[in-house]
Amino acid sequence: MSRHEHDEFDELVAVYAVGALDGDDLVRFEAHLAVGCPACEAALREADEALARLAVDRPRAIPPAHVKEALVARLAATAPHPRPATRRWLPWAAGVAAAMLVAALLGAGFTATYYEQRLGIAARETAALRNRMAAQDKALREELRLYAGAVELLRDPRTQVVALHGTGPNPEAIGRVVWNEAAGGQLFVANLPAPPAGKTYELWKITGATPVAAGVFTTDSAGKAIHEVGPAGKVDVFAVTLEPAGGVPAPTGPIVLASAK
Amino acid sequence: MSTAGPDLIRRMAQGDRAAFAPFYDRYAPLAFPLVLRIVRDRTDAADVLQEVFWEAWQAAGAYDPQRGTPEAWILTRARSRAIDRVRSIRRRGATFVAPLDEAIAATPDEGRADAAEQASDRRRVASALDRLPDAQREVIELAYFGGLTQTEIADRLKQPLGTVKTRIRLGLERLREAIRER
Repeated sequence: MSRHEHDEFDELVAVYAVGALDGDDLVRFEAHLAVGCPACEAALREADEALARLAVDRPRAIPPAHVKEALVARLAATAPHPRPATRRWLPWAAGVAAAMLVAALLGAGFTATYYEQRLGIAARETAALRNRMAAQDKALREELRLYAGAVELLRDPRTQVVALHGTGPNPEAIGRVVWNEAAGGQLFVANLPAPPAGKTYELWKITGATPVAAGVFTTDSAGKAIHEVGPAGKVDVFAVTLEPAGGVPAPTGPIVLASAK
Repeated sequence: MSTAGPDLIRRMAQGDRAAFAPFYDRYAPLAFPLVLRIVRDRTDAADVLQEVFWEAWQAAGAYDPQRGTPEAWILTRARSRAIDRVRSIRRRGATFVAPLDEAIAATPDEGRADAAEQASDRRRVASALDRLPDAQREVIELAYFGGLTQTEIADRLKQPLGTVKTRIRLGLERLREAIRER
């Protein structure tokens, strides 16, 4: 991560340190911390020290005595059971000790179960978050690869940009194919609603009179799509039809986007 | 036997119960005013304090002296538990936001240390938070002592979220610098 990209986290560290981070910022920053960031961890430790110093600099106040008494009693209760004073008491003491041991084990078992559940929930949430991030990361990388590919094509003087216009029910839909006869290209679509369930969009390259299938794609909730188009070759017309999910070898459905001849 | 803070925590981690009382005696008077300032109610503050020190006993093994002072370790815990308490009270519907300014201004009066210590404490107080520009001090107090999130602070001050974030960052930077100067 570059210095500039990390600047944003410098601000989030401070807001996180005072406990005020919320919403997306909180999710983003905790994800950033979760993958490990020595700079943020160090900044956070320094912030904690600075904030602790605020309390250290204030007048002390003696808490109510019962707090310490309760804690000391609780602590004593965790002590191992004292040995029976005399042999005479052994059978009785052993009985009591056994009963207490059972009670302690039940108590410990309950506590352990409770924390195991809590830990289980935390672990599942972490795993779900990690999976979600991995999926997002993969999608972003793929999108970036496609954009980079299109930009690369645009540097080539032989590359053309072919406009596709909406037909039928979606006249506002538009498409652009960045096409290079030697290298292939990319289709960019906007304003085309996501296909109904069980359907997909399919791109066709038409040379002469024969449509050749050039892959299926769907649009997102914003009506956008990017689709890689190959292989290279001469193409007269690009068209998109609505087809059964999975695509078909020859067009059967209505044309939703087409380029001029 | 050493009674330095990190040693006390290390002994607690080893299950040495005798280390707990000196640990409590040293750090509870530090944590209590912070908790009281945040939750404002003495009974609630006492509950929170008990919770914080019980957790400290149980979590002593996780303390790493390389990563921070005992003060920061216990006070970060105390602050976070106190805020949890305030937020759960707020969720139950009590109006806790209105008297917040009063809470922020309030300093616990009871159980003070002796007058000389108090006087020297006062001088030190003036050196950190009070030296911040008002706008920066305000956002840090609302967050750290008031338990408000950045969005709540922005709503309350009628300032853009970005302004609130920047003020917190600048304020905290100054506090960190103030420590380095010591």
